[in-house]
Amino acid sequence: MKRSLFAILLIIFTCSTFISINGCFVSKTAASKSGAQLWAENCNRCHNAPPPGEFSNANWDIVGTHMQIRANISKTDMTKITDFLKSANR
Amino acid sequence: MKKLLLIFSACFLYNAVIHGQLLSKESGQNKFAIYGNAEAVYVSNKEQKSFTDINFKPIFLWKISDKLFVEAETEIETGDGVVNFGLEYANMNYIVNQYLILHAGRFLPKFGAYRGRFAEGFLNRFASNPAGFGDGGIGASVETGFGALGSLPFGDVKVLYDVYVVNGPHLLTDSANQGQFDYEAYTSNNNDQAYGGRLAILPLSNSSLEVGFSLQHKAKTGDLGTIDEKVSLDMQAVDLNYYTSIQPIKSTLRIIGEFRHQKVGNNAVYTKPDGTDFSFTNSPSCYYAMGSLRPSLLENKFLRNIEVAVRSSYFKRPVNAPWGGSNIRSTEIALDYWLNWNSLLKISYQNRSDALNTVYAQVVFGF
Repeated sequence: MKRSLFAILLIIFTCSTFISINGCFVSKTAASKSGAQLWAENCNRCHNAPPPGEFSNANWDIVGTHMQIRANISKTDMTKITDFLKSANR
Repeated sequence: MKKLLLIFSACFLYNAVIHGQLLSKESGQNKFAIYGNAEAVYVSNKEQKSFTDINFKPIFLWKISDKLFVEAETEIETGDGVVNFGLEYANMNYIVNQYLILHAGRFLPKFGAYRGRFAEGFLNRFASNPAGFGDGGIGASVETGFGALGSLPFGDVKVLYDVYVVNGPHLLTDSANQGQFDYEAYTSNNNDQAYGGRLAILPLSNSSLEVGFSLQHKAKTGDLGTIDEKVSLDMQAVDLNYYTSIQPIKSTLRIIGEFRHQKVGNNAVYTKPDGTDFSFTNSPSCYYAMGSLRPSLLENKFLRNIEVAVRSSYFKRPVNAPWGGSNIRSTEIALDYWLNWNSLLKISYQNRSDALNTVYAQVVFGF
């Protein structure tokens, strides 16, 4: 059990490190998605999307990190989403 | 297990040093916020008309740096007739890289999708839980341990993963609950721990469909030194979540479902009140399916905030268990009104085979 668990963790660690160093396999369509599109797609996956202007810029950073963890969203996608949401505060 | 933890910690530190950001926090970066839910429930049936659960659940969030994040939720509840104060979760996260987050503490379960996600007050369209997914059902509402999670892109497809090691379920042997489990214990009851994970695939490029597969295994669930110490538990779950806009009726359709199964080791032996030993086949399962429709694309503000939902659930219980004997079927319909993106009023009617027909009303305010 412990060996299989260690193997799983090692594979994930190795894969994620490899992908982060060598770049990930993202299609052009996925890579070109705007923050607004990612906001609509990722938030609505589970709940109504919070409107831009709901939180301050600092709080969007906090909420964004919280949702990155809760919903397994990549850092790149979450940065695009929070940048879009912050743009309503300017 | 000590070796495993040591190696895992070494990997953790190695990555932190490689990225050189563990101690690179600039002044003023430590950001803190509080969000959460407040909920109130009213129940009406032939035997009861009462305001029941009043819950206040603040979530504390600290973004210590770009790499370090702490999230914790406390619960103040009145459902048992007294005020209960509890720790829902307290989870420390280290964001290793784009695709890997390590976390440790007490965290929402990664087995299935209901209890860790769709049971939230402003995600659940109903005031109650599906049969087999609430208290006395299959699976934890919170786990204590450590894990890793992330998202891996493969073209237009995303794969979400969670793996973890937790204290896991404790086998209960008291006469009323023989063969059931305490899934949420703060500490372990023996020298073993549970491990498991969830793999979810989002096959559509707009992420509107998610199909998840979960496993959890614990080799020893009984109390240390007892005859039941080496009773194992294996759990599996499949979950589905889909939403789409239907332009002709200017509405959003959401379909959610989940199936859970668990198998308790055949070596479990229980004692009846008269002192005789007995055993039984203990492999319960449960499922639910929910559909909701909201005319969210209408221009009329009142109408677009209305949502109707229907849910069916089934809990297959062991025939010979003290708490089993009959299966539970439940059907609910709900009419909800959204006050805000995370606040709503719910009115639902429940027809459940082991309870009176009941009307629930619930107010959920997200803050």
